[in-house]
Amino acid sequence: MLTLSDMRTENGKAYVLLMPSLILAVMFSFYPLVKSVAGSFLTISQQGEVRGFAGLMNYISLFSDPAFPASIRHTLLFILMFLPLNTALTLLAAILTRRKTRWGGIAEYIFFMPMAVSLSSLSLIFREMFRGRVSVINQILDTDIAWLDSPGTALLVLAFLGVFLDFGIDYILLLSSFRRIDRNILEAAALDGAGNLRTLISIELPEIRTMLSVTVFLAAKDALLISAPVMILTQGGPFRSTETIMYYYYLEAFRSGNRGAESTITTLITIIAVIIMAMIASRRKNDWKNI
Amino acid sequence: MTGRIFEKAVLILLAVVIIFPVLYALSASFFSPVDFTDSHAHLLPSSPDFSNYSMALSNRYYPRFIANSLITSLLLAALRTVISVLAAFAFTHLRFRGSRTVMIILLTTMFIPPDALLYPNYSTIASLGLLDTYAAIILPSVFSASSLLLLTGAFSSSDRDVYMASKIDGAGDFQYIVRILVPMAGSFVIAVFLQTFITGFSSYLWPLLVTSRMSMRTVQVGISMLGFAEAGEYGAQFAAIIMITLPFLILLGVLRKRIVDILSSGGMET
Amino acid sequence: MKRIILPVLLVLALASLAAGGNREENTITVWHQFTGVHSQVFDSILDSFNETTGKELGVTVEGVYQGAANDVLTKVKAAAGSSGLPDIAAMDATSCLDMKMSDYLVTADDAGIDTSVLLPAAVRAFTSERGLLAVPFCCSSLILYYNKTVFDEAGVTPPRTIDEFTAIADKVGEKDGDGNVVRYAFAGTPTTYELGAFIGAQKGLSYMVDGKNGHFGLPRKVLIESDGTFRNFLEHWKAFYDTGYVLNTSDQMNEFASGRAAAMLNSSDSIPSVERLTGGRFEIGTAFVPMTDEEATGGVNIGGSALFLFTSSDAVNAFIEYLLSDECQRMWAESTGYLPASASVYEDPGFLSFLEENPLYRTAVDQTLASNPEVTGIWMPSGYQIYHTYQSEIREVTENGKDIDQAVSDMAAFIQLQLDDYNRQNSTAQ
Repeated sequence: MLTLSDMRTENGKAYVLLMPSLILAVMFSFYPLVKSVAGSFLTISQQGEVRGFAGLMNYISLFSDPAFPASIRHTLLFILMFLPLNTALTLLAAILTRRKTRWGGIAEYIFFMPMAVSLSSLSLIFREMFRGRVSVINQILDTDIAWLDSPGTALLVLAFLGVFLDFGIDYILLLSSFRRIDRNILEAAALDGAGNLRTLISIELPEIRTMLSVTVFLAAKDALLISAPVMILTQGGPFRSTETIMYYYYLEAFRSGNRGAESTITTLITIIAVIIMAMIASRRKNDWKNI
Repeated sequence: MTGRIFEKAVLILLAVVIIFPVLYALSASFFSPVDFTDSHAHLLPSSPDFSNYSMALSNRYYPRFIANSLITSLLLAALRTVISVLAAFAFTHLRFRGSRTVMIILLTTMFIPPDALLYPNYSTIASLGLLDTYAAIILPSVFSASSLLLLTGAFSSSDRDVYMASKIDGAGDFQYIVRILVPMAGSFVIAVFLQTFITGFSSYLWPLLVTSRMSMRTVQVGISMLGFAEAGEYGAQFAAIIMITLPFLILLGVLRKRIVDILSSGGMET
Repeated sequence: MKRIILPVLLVLALASLAAGGNREENTITVWHQFTGVHSQVFDSILDSFNETTGKELGVTVEGVYQGAANDVLTKVKAAAGSSGLPDIAAMDATSCLDMKMSDYLVTADDAGIDTSVLLPAAVRAFTSERGLLAVPFCCSSLILYYNKTVFDEAGVTPPRTIDEFTAIADKVGEKDGDGNVVRYAFAGTPTTYELGAFIGAQKGLSYMVDGKNGHFGLPRKVLIESDGTFRNFLEHWKAFYDTGYVLNTSDQMNEFASGRAAAMLNSSDSIPSVERLTGGRFEIGTAFVPMTDEEATGGVNIGGSALFLFTSSDAVNAFIEYLLSDECQRMWAESTGYLPASASVYEDPGFLSFLEENPLYRTAVDQTLASNPEVTGIWMPSGYQIYHTYQSEIREVTENGKDIDQAVSDMAAFIQLQLDDYNRQNSTAQ
């Protein structure tokens, strides 16, 4: 039984333990968000001087720039290309190596590799592999495509790069959840004469479903907020065709110093994030606890 | 049997695809300048050109980049793990006024994508005079609602009676956390640490913004700011990439088995 | 054992959080965009300053590469108002509008720099209503790089106008038996820098926006549509593209160096890179930029890098004086392809004989001296966005048959939108 005095000491103790988290959350999440929402209704000069109330002018300006809706379109297209490809390949890799074999360690190592090769290295390597018409990729595929010079293919290359960037971590998560499946279940299935493929489809895949949806969710989140690879691989080009929402944000916030656009995008992105997360949370109450 | 062979073939193909960029970078680090602009693309150098490496070594900062990346990622992972453990402990083991409200406040941050807060957070860090410090690189990402949520879930299965018993035995909260709670939820705690380390290591835009001195750049920032490719020195760029990546590939080789074993040992799913 | 690890880690963590920071005193920090050969030469200049004048004054100059020109500007703007600003940033003229509007810039006049030694066109390029914003350190200009081997074989000389280029496109370009182009006459899609010449030179002198291209006051009105200059350019360019020998690309450097394109436009400071990538595959020639039409006589605008100052001290002034010395200017120009910013170097017999021996380097000098110094680069907000929108519109017209009038009005409307939004937030005269 807790007495009242226990309760009081636990009050103090709890808040001491929670203090670091609370301070950081307020300082780097709530405060900047409030500042941005307020800023989206104000006119602020590049020097940071508040010049008055802007009403909806910042929102109107943002949407009258054709590049902003275009950046939303590019981001959605990117997700459409990246997400299925990423899910299929990481799942395939995890399935093929889910049992420990003699040479399996080498395959595991290779699939982990993209994680150790940094994001910027991979982006630079891709930039060279797909550069111009005489590229090593064209050589191998026997094609003549200027991958990074035409809008559609540049976004596709970005999606390939995205797969490499997420591959390592997604693979680890999927592989380890395969390996956690109870051996007894698998052995029982084998005794029942279930083949490899049957076991996979009717037993193993359902077992790892939760982790699969977690990795899909994580990858979708990364894809929605992608900016760094764009910055290094394409700089938004060719012809602004690979500008994603967050890259557009970077350009307006830091390159142009457009305070109105910057705070307005922050506000809009947060609203979008809340809607998406709320939708997912209500549909899959259990899965998102793992994130 | 044909199924087995087909499976092996697919595995090998996939592995080749995944490893290809690294092998290409290794090969290209020996290309001479004209190999990059030849009428056909090269897979192998026409004749090994070691001058790329000596050119790449004109940049003396690679050890700094690597050290900065390791230090900031480890710091970030350690700090996030510690504050998440403490907060999760408070939520699961202590009864205090407003616990639900505080929980909701902290979890709400999950809805606020940090990437969209780059500018205001940059101003905060700048006005605190922290630009070009490790603190600037890691502070904004130390608290993570998802790590807190994961550990709260993991700790909630622990029995409050055990906690009370250890209290009666005279053990402090700190001892309880370190000796009983963390070992019990070991794979969760390690998962948080590892995931945070990876997040820290692969972070690019933020460290780019808050550092401006060579000696403070991380691997990610340093590599993108080599300036070799911009001057047409593609070979030197690849040589630099290989030199910087090698230590991490070795590290991964050493730790791979352990990481998989820990994560496969159960407990990741709730 | 385990009990110790955690607190030790924590203490270590907190201690090293404070690491970094603290700028060393007596150090002059210079942010720059120089890479490859350029950065090696720049570093050697800094080294020799540090060993001589620097030693006497007790200061050390440290150069930090911060990415391409617009990356340097991005960093400067972000660092504004904090202790993070460098003492000096070497940036190009596209930074001028932001710097002019800033309250942290120390203009060349405020710093008391002797600017009488500078090339008038270079001074003009960085002058605003606030006076000379920055100290030009080196200049560059757009030039035509061409495959001299191919041009000589075809028996043609470099074109003076776009129309002349159209006329010889099939002579320097080449198709295989199936009608596929194996060598383009030209690679590249013009954008802000190129249009500075293609539009700026029209009728002797034209501007893209008012305020003399935004140099005086804030740019408020776009002129490329009302003056008819963008339309005129697009008509000539479309005819050139329709020969089938023009490749829209942003990778003109590699297309040219590999011999797959017979010509490209690029900055004169790319000469060392072009030579290295070409590797003697063919003979390189350089020539004046082809003009839009016969009436486009203004020449080209001057580009290059100027030193924007954010602190003022005798040591900074001494360093700048050193950079502007004839010896330093000559050394820089002869090894990088940049033009000297100091006027006296152009009469230096040593430099003149260098130009005689290196005709590639000479083109930019002759072209700059022959150009109207009033033809200047454009200063406007959202430079990046406008840069890419130009390319998009030109590509739409050439590849997708977009109506030229439509493209002109879309482009003008886009720039106007950027100007209006900028003025709404930043103009003091509402």
